[in-house]
Amino acid sequence: MATHYDNYHHGAGHSNGFLLLAYLPTKQKFLGLRTRFHHRQFRKIQIFGDNDSIDFPTICERDSSCSRHYFKDLKLRTHTGLTVDSCSENHSSPVQTDGNHLTLDAESIKRISEKDAACFPEFVRFMNKCASILDTAYATIMPRLPMNFGIKEGFGLMELGLELKLAGRKDMLNFIRALPMTAQELVEEYFESEIVKAAIASLGIHGFTLGPMGAGTGYTLIHNWMNRGGLAHVNVGKAGEITQALANAIKASGGEIRTEAEVASIKVESQIAKGVVLANGEEILANQILSSADPKHTFLKLVGAQDLPPEFVWHTQSIKMRGSVAKIHLQTNGSHGIPEGTLVVAPSIKYLEKAYDATKYGEISEKPYLEVTTSGNAVSIHFQFAPYNLKLGTWNVEREKVEKLAIDTLAEYFPNLKSSIVNRKSITPQDLESIYGLTEGDLNHGQLMLDQFLFMRPIPGWSNHKTPIDNLYLCGSGVHGGGGVSGVSGRNVVRVL
Amino acid sequence: MLNLNLKTTPFHERTSALCQPQNWRKWAGYFVVGSYEHVLDREYWAIRNSAALIDVTPLMKYIIKGKDAAALLHRVTTRNVHKMKVGQVAYTGWCDEEGKMIDDGTISRLEESTFRLTAAEPNLRWLTMNAVGMDVSITEVTDDVAALSFQGPNTRKVLNLVCEKPVDELKYFRLMTNKIHGVEVTISRTGYTGDLGYEIWMDNKDALKVWDALMEAGSDYGITPVGILAMDMARVEAGLFMLDVDYTSASHAWIESQKSSPFELGLDWTVALDKPGYFVGRRALEKEKREGSAWKMVGLAVDWVGMENIFKQVGLPPQIPGSAVRASLPVMVGNVQVGYASTSTWSPLLKTYIALAHLQKPYYEIGTDVRMEITVEHHRQHAPAKVVKLPFYEPEWKKK
Repeated sequence: MATHYDNYHHGAGHSNGFLLLAYLPTKQKFLGLRTRFHHRQFRKIQIFGDNDSIDFPTICERDSSCSRHYFKDLKLRTHTGLTVDSCSENHSSPVQTDGNHLTLDAESIKRISEKDAACFPEFVRFMNKCASILDTAYATIMPRLPMNFGIKEGFGLMELGLELKLAGRKDMLNFIRALPMTAQELVEEYFESEIVKAAIASLGIHGFTLGPMGAGTGYTLIHNWMNRGGLAHVNVGKAGEITQALANAIKASGGEIRTEAEVASIKVESQIAKGVVLANGEEILANQILSSADPKHTFLKLVGAQDLPPEFVWHTQSIKMRGSVAKIHLQTNGSHGIPEGTLVVAPSIKYLEKAYDATKYGEISEKPYLEVTTSGNAVSIHFQFAPYNLKLGTWNVEREKVEKLAIDTLAEYFPNLKSSIVNRKSITPQDLESIYGLTEGDLNHGQLMLDQFLFMRPIPGWSNHKTPIDNLYLCGSGVHGGGGVSGVSGRNVVRVL
Repeated sequence: MLNLNLKTTPFHERTSALCQPQNWRKWAGYFVVGSYEHVLDREYWAIRNSAALIDVTPLMKYIIKGKDAAALLHRVTTRNVHKMKVGQVAYTGWCDEEGKMIDDGTISRLEESTFRLTAAEPNLRWLTMNAVGMDVSITEVTDDVAALSFQGPNTRKVLNLVCEKPVDELKYFRLMTNKIHGVEVTISRTGYTGDLGYEIWMDNKDALKVWDALMEAGSDYGITPVGILAMDMARVEAGLFMLDVDYTSASHAWIESQKSSPFELGLDWTVALDKPGYFVGRRALEKEKREGSAWKMVGLAVDWVGMENIFKQVGLPPQIPGSAVRASLPVMVGNVQVGYASTSTWSPLLKTYIALAHLQKPYYEIGTDVRMEITVEHHRQHAPAKVVKLPFYEPEWKKK
């Protein structure tokens, strides 16, 4: 006999998914399923086997980008004692081949350019203001344009309007102007030195299949700035710790979490979601189904096009996914010579744009953009660009190429790296899809582009988490509030419910 | 160089030789004959009294084939396609998600997993959009398959003379494969005139052979090539509407009020709300069924004496149009406009000026007295009319 729940959440990722579960009323009986993860992500992650575990989540950055709203809302400190650092203390470090690495703060930038150093505080102020506006926009449940909307949505939009107004006329206009700009144009309004411009602009392409000369990377730069709380991640504990905290909060509310329970389909009758069917045939019934799997996966694979309106299917098919990130995790003997924290390989804007150019033609960047996070013996490399759809070859073969390119590129700055490597593991865009269920390996569940944000995310007319299937809601990165794992969409969907 | 010329049908060699007034009309990218003579009377009466041969090749035609062919049409259209038997034909409309009509046509189940769908306008994209995840192929065969509409009370006799197998047992809205002078054809008992009639489907290469065979065999039965203008008069008598004349496709309506639901067009009988599973527009149609329709397409019969009185005021007898009028004519109750007529025509058979009209609730009730706009000596007048049930004309032999 099938088990029945008030709420069932499929694809309970560490931030959007778990956060929404944590927000659910305690009187309801609810269940979260982690569908595709075989790793115990909310504990210590064992990338290299039981005896060689290192302290990294597999696909997320070292520190979480979980929104700070939730620490307050969910009293997460009481569950784990996690703390939030202030934005101004986050730095990323662009590296240089001569070893004269830079830290992105005004003091350090002064070594390169007095002018850039002088502009840096104003840039940070402006970006923080933009991030604040965007944060409010993400927390605003979007109306289902072009349909009419009511008072509820109207109030949210009024709040957003107020936030824009409070930003002051100049910042408001500059914010609106910055969204469609290229990251290059945005940083060039403030800085002159190439290394500073490129290091900051790289944040605008981090996780996206875009080059810094692409329209809309001004927006993605603000988005990543907001999610990280600055250039590097806000230190709110490691991703696994947050997930553990959320898991504790869920359990404390009477929720149940099951892992390694792959969902084969969402059961739909007369356009009403009734439950899910697991890969092992088990049926779980629920009054509400909440999916933080990406929209393409949710609708085209789990629901199936036959139960959905044709234009909705067409729009869903048209969501631009385009994953192009690979991860290379290195276990070293500790002599790699790479400083602790986050550094980027982004020597110039042109370098980044050329790295992106390769992916347009289905090629792996020979000179990739890297963001490297180092903690003790462990070195984790975020590699762009490695397109999901390769023009030639397959990811089974090209995996080694990406690993070699990442290591060779990083070794140009840290010559001891190669000899220090004990073990390595890579995650290709293909792995992101096959292991983690991310369509086309897109970490954001859909590219963040100007035609895929606000009321157009995931698709026009369906930005408020509802779907054409009654009782089925979206709550992942693919809806408004995403991408990334800030948890905003998870928080928003509870308000819709 | 891009060829912007209209196409001609495979019957053009014959039809062009017969088209005395050079009255050509555009239909879905083709030239077709509007009328073969200067006046429509003989062509119209052939439909009602003998045998009318009409070139309907420009109808859009799609072959839908594969394991999920029935499932696709079941999803796209409002009919319960899974219930259709091989050899059955079903008239249907299809809607967008808001339950507004996109187009209408017939579904023919040629084999268990092979269907032919006809449409007034191109629908390949819409069909393809609906076929996501289905094992089905959709092929447009408009330019490959020639079609003749053979309408009138003598058509069965003529077909029996030329067909390998008699058509006597072919029931209304059924089809059969047959041979005409050795040429393979599909014959469906369908049409657009409301009379006894058939539609004959064949490869383009065989078109002239079939035309010649029918013309020869039909000579003793009053066979007459008929253009689409006479057919237009007959279809109004039969209460049959036309896309882009009597309704606007939801796919290219500019505003909401231009769209129509199948209920509003009187197609209640084609909307199988009891069929299982999702179909496009289901929820909106269920809602409309519960709440009632704001509009209905009905028949209007204009009062002859009333019209006579209006013309009398300027010293004229009533003037009647020589063919169907595809113009929107306001329909009034008192001084309030309650709807509009989309096609009006003189019915030579009924001796009545009739119209297909779209009226708002509650004025669409049968028996309601309204007034329809007519033009009398360059002045707008309103002739008294009554709301009547459709069709205006349905001979007993239509379905026998």
